[in-house]
Amino acid sequence: MLEYVTFELVLQLLVNGILFGTMYGIAAIGLSLVYGTMRIIFLAHGAIIVFFAYICYWLFRLLGIDPYLSLIIVVPLSLLLGAGFYAGLFKEAAALEDKNISLLIAVGLMYLAEQLMLVVWTANPRSISTIYTDLVFRPFGINIPFTRFIALVMAILSAFGVLFFLKKTLIGTAVRAASEDMESATLMGINPHWVNVVAFAVGIGLAGVAGVGLATVYSFDPGYGFIFAIKALIALAFGGMGNVFGALLGGILLGLLESLSSFFIGAGWADAITYGVFLLVLTFRPQGLFGGST
Amino acid sequence: MENHLLELKGVDIFYGDVQAVWDVSISVDEGTIVGLLGANGAGKTTLLKTISGIIHAQSGEILFSNRSLAHLRPQAVVDMGISHVPEGRRLFSQLTVLENLRLGSYPPRARPLFEESLERAFTLFPVLEARTGQKAGSLSGGEQQMLAIARALMAHPDLLMLDEPSLGLSPIFVRTIFELIKTLNDQKVTILLVEQNIHQALKISHQAYVLKTGKIVMNGPGDELLANPEVQMAYIGERWRKK
Repeated sequence: MLEYVTFELVLQLLVNGILFGTMYGIAAIGLSLVYGTMRIIFLAHGAIIVFFAYICYWLFRLLGIDPYLSLIIVVPLSLLLGAGFYAGLFKEAAALEDKNISLLIAVGLMYLAEQLMLVVWTANPRSISTIYTDLVFRPFGINIPFTRFIALVMAILSAFGVLFFLKKTLIGTAVRAASEDMESATLMGINPHWVNVVAFAVGIGLAGVAGVGLATVYSFDPGYGFIFAIKALIALAFGGMGNVFGALLGGILLGLLESLSSFFIGAGWADAITYGVFLLVLTFRPQGLFGGST
Repeated sequence: MENHLLELKGVDIFYGDVQAVWDVSISVDEGTIVGLLGANGAGKTTLLKTISGIIHAQSGEILFSNRSLAHLRPQAVVDMGISHVPEGRRLFSQLTVLENLRLGSYPPRARPLFEESLERAFTLFPVLEARTGQKAGSLSGGEQQMLAIARALMAHPDLLMLDEPSLGLSPIFVRTIFELIKTLNDQKVTILLVEQNIHQALKISHQAYVLKTGKIVMNGPGDELLANPEVQMAYIGERWRKK
């Protein structure tokens, strides 16, 4: 088989991996933010991403709004929904010592969202077809689908947006402080509910962006959310829990791992290898592969 | 009836079913240093946490400038003018020195005064000015303690509560910290000082309370307690045990 391997082919595999991986990356950043202040894995994240993919789909099908243009509706909506989730579902549980309650709420939310989506949109896969859906660039003989490229740009821009927010604003600094030591943060006058709301809003805001990326690139169904959440969780583990930039890199690494292993070893093996590496990383590098900090 | 800056009356505190503090009454007058002394597990840290709203008392009264602190959350307490430097400093080690200081002036009362508070912090601790961009976790133990105190001062407190500020520091830094506490007090900051270093703490305290297993067993002016043979016994005994 190896005689077929050309430089272009390897390059194509790498590009595919990166294009896939950045999607995992922004999902993982969302998980990372919520984990930071709340100390839970927000398992419903994937279902919420798929939900926003459906919103994007509906805006396109029912109102004829271009998927990229729909970001101006989806992003504010997702920020609000994130704040709403915290205020409505997690506020009481977040104050408890036992974080498992919050985790269970996330699990409940995941299944509820999945079932509601099944009722509203059925289990049939949906996708968006526009004039640019099949558009492909071919720089240096490599295929780069337009929609995947835009998804990459959206992911990178939103990752840097979040980093800027965390580093340069007072509330962003407060979120980082609370992620490190909530009790000490409250002694500074920081309201724990406020940083949790902000972390949730920004995290779910990223889910909105990821949803639009997903809707433009893939076909999706309600059950896809759980798989997406698990992939994001793997990306998070690769990058180190609570490390925002590491989460993006972890996503890219996961994308590369999937792309390369499914070609060189076999598509059937790709997921097994991914989960194997996930366990290895957690076992031997629980702090993540990119040792640094936020 | 005299007006104390801080007054605790008959305070009982529980951890779950276990009572940690029994019927404690303490008063702190404006402009003084008050020592809260005793061995490990005597309930000193519990008392500070209760004043700053991290935990809540079962019964009794806590008044600050004659306003009740009961049921207030930490973020409200610090905005009333009480800053708490917790045991072990609890800096945000991944954040820079400047970011730590900026969060110190997070309470609404302190936020507009950030620039001048920063200037005061750098005057008191010139070493921090040279390290603004450095992560707090990369500082030495002594520098970290200075940053923790500087961060608490950024909130413009009327009362500064220090929990074991000398813990784990080299003898030179211990002396520096105690001198610093006196300097701050000269600048009209009222201080509630929790210490295991009883001898040093008594030397600078105007008033002191000795706690033992959650109860106040002795109180009086610092120099009086220092001369008290009972305290000396306990103090020497403690040093003996540590050896």
